[in-house]
Amino acid sequence: MSNLNSLQYFIPELFLTVSILVIIIVDLFLKKEKKVVSAYLTALALLVAMALSFQQYNFSPASLFEGMVVLDSFAIFFKILAAFSTLIIVFISLPTFRDKAEYYVLLLVVTLGMFIMVQVNDLLMILLSMEMVGVISYVLAGYNKKNLKSNEASLKYLLFGAASTGVMAFGFSYIYGMTGHTNLYLIQQALLNNNPHPLAFFIAVVLILAGLGYKIAMVPFHFWVPDVYEGSPTPITAFFSVGPKAVGVALFIRFLTTIVAHPASTGLYDFTQNIPIKLPELLAVLAVLTMTLGNLSALQQKNIKRLLGYSAIAHVGYMLMALVVFNGNAIVAVMFYAIVYLFMNFGAFWIVETITPKLKSERIADYTGLGYRAPFTAVALAVFLFSLTGIPPTAGFIGKVYLFSAVIKEQWYLLAVLGVLNSVVSLYYYAYVIKVMFLNQPENNDLIEVPLYNKVLTWVLLIPTLVMGLYWNPVITFTENSLGLFFGK
Amino acid sequence: MEAKELLFLFIAIVTIASAGLVAFSNKLIHSAFALMATFVGFAALYVFLSADFLAVTQIVVYVGGILILILFGVMMTHRIYDTTLKTIHNPLAMGIISAAALAVILGLVIYRSPWAATVDKPFVPTTSIIGAEILTNYLLPFELVSVLLLGVLIGAVFLARTEEHKK
Repeated sequence: MSNLNSLQYFIPELFLTVSILVIIIVDLFLKKEKKVVSAYLTALALLVAMALSFQQYNFSPASLFEGMVVLDSFAIFFKILAAFSTLIIVFISLPTFRDKAEYYVLLLVVTLGMFIMVQVNDLLMILLSMEMVGVISYVLAGYNKKNLKSNEASLKYLLFGAASTGVMAFGFSYIYGMTGHTNLYLIQQALLNNNPHPLAFFIAVVLILAGLGYKIAMVPFHFWVPDVYEGSPTPITAFFSVGPKAVGVALFIRFLTTIVAHPASTGLYDFTQNIPIKLPELLAVLAVLTMTLGNLSALQQKNIKRLLGYSAIAHVGYMLMALVVFNGNAIVAVMFYAIVYLFMNFGAFWIVETITPKLKSERIADYTGLGYRAPFTAVALAVFLFSLTGIPPTAGFIGKVYLFSAVIKEQWYLLAVLGVLNSVVSLYYYAYVIKVMFLNQPENNDLIEVPLYNKVLTWVLLIPTLVMGLYWNPVITFTENSLGLFFGK
Repeated sequence: MEAKELLFLFIAIVTIASAGLVAFSNKLIHSAFALMATFVGFAALYVFLSADFLAVTQIVVYVGGILILILFGVMMTHRIYDTTLKTIHNPLAMGIISAAALAVILGLVIYRSPWAATVDKPFVPTTSIIGAEILTNYLLPFELVSVLLLGVLIGAVFLARTEEHKK
């Protein structure tokens, strides 16, 4: 579609861009004590962007801006998810960053990047959108300028990011060299028609995996995660662990369905590889490595944020496991898991953010007897951790059921067994936190006052985690309806 | 034809040798100056590929901008001038083995694969073509980069400014 005609299908993104500019300017006129208005404006902008994206479900799928991006229901689903996750983050950040307008502006720029990332249809756009999310994230990771760990997090994130993006761009250059196109659909067609050498294609795909794997924290590109998660301000850690990761997975799916494979004639969402390479096997190995390494490293953690960081790696492993078989079922399972993961992971991080200022510590040992000192908060954290483990009747259980059933349906039994074993391992360290909170007597019995605001936001995250564990039908139907991929220039 | 090939060889050798110097030199300032030769070598290689605009941009942005920034950074930072050997050199054998493996794999890829090549195109100036493409087919990325740069600007100002407020 031509540039001018595309504009009407690009309203949420345009709206976000305008809000970024408006908030920058409005902030200039706000007095010091009124600065919080920029945060409210950001929340409002995200709500409107969500509504505008939702209304795009009516459009028929199309490619926009001369094939640079595509608008399909798959993209819209992840756009809503991205805007919603940033919205929650705005509320999570409010107590810490009340008067930091630039913080909220940066969050909006990342959100715009995430919007583009789920719609990409061109190698150039992949690179650009990933940098848009990445570069701003480096600043956000180092937002506590006086905290050495925050500085370290920012620098490590930047260095790893730059290296992996470079490797990915090198892989793109091979793909371009083989096909002569940058448009994903044209690349798919060229690969089918020209049949380049499988080895060359395999190497190119592996190089690209370095960049994508870094974004979603896949082993062996996960080195940055523990330090960045520990060093960044907690709201930012929570943000990294959900929004950018979910859209990273969306980008991964886009990459698998265009460059790696094409729709098969057998079914609507079955895919055949463009050039037969052992990619499913490679992905299976990487998925198992990712979850195993994440879970085993989490076992030894003393810091709750590091523990959640490693658990985030493990969860990427579960999602990758479903992408091994990738067909319609698996993609729906991953999309559903992204929703579930959003609530439970934000919940866990929000409790950490609530409790840390009271305890003045992020060490798990200091959570001793929290069940007696702040009963509601401790119970909520227990629910979120049980959900992350995947124990019924929480949403995490249902999410895992869909992931595993997608794998088992395609007869990857060994992979499923390894995944279940990993879940068992993860039970140990999640349950350890719960044991410390409830079974160990505290040395100091003072009740911890939790502000009403924190309680309300906890409920907001807690209710979906519990309800989706019992009644998930509407959500899965919505997810299934959102599965629509558009292929075309 | 002979002269062109000789020239190409010369440029390639200069580029690779200076890149090696960047990586292996123990003095930061030597690396920074060697980087200049690498960048200029790249620009010359772009000329060989008939990418005139890219070659000029390479010189303006990398040599004229980024490199000068690096040199200023090196020279103005206290005592970094004669700092030696801050990088940890990994065990030599490991490095050589992995580099050789990578070279073999990439070499295989480059030789085995039938590239979608368009060599020996007649030389045409590319500047106006690039200009037209940016404002037609590549309009969206062009505009998005400006939003990205705005964000980067805000982020950079935030990170660089001091926290003390004037009362």
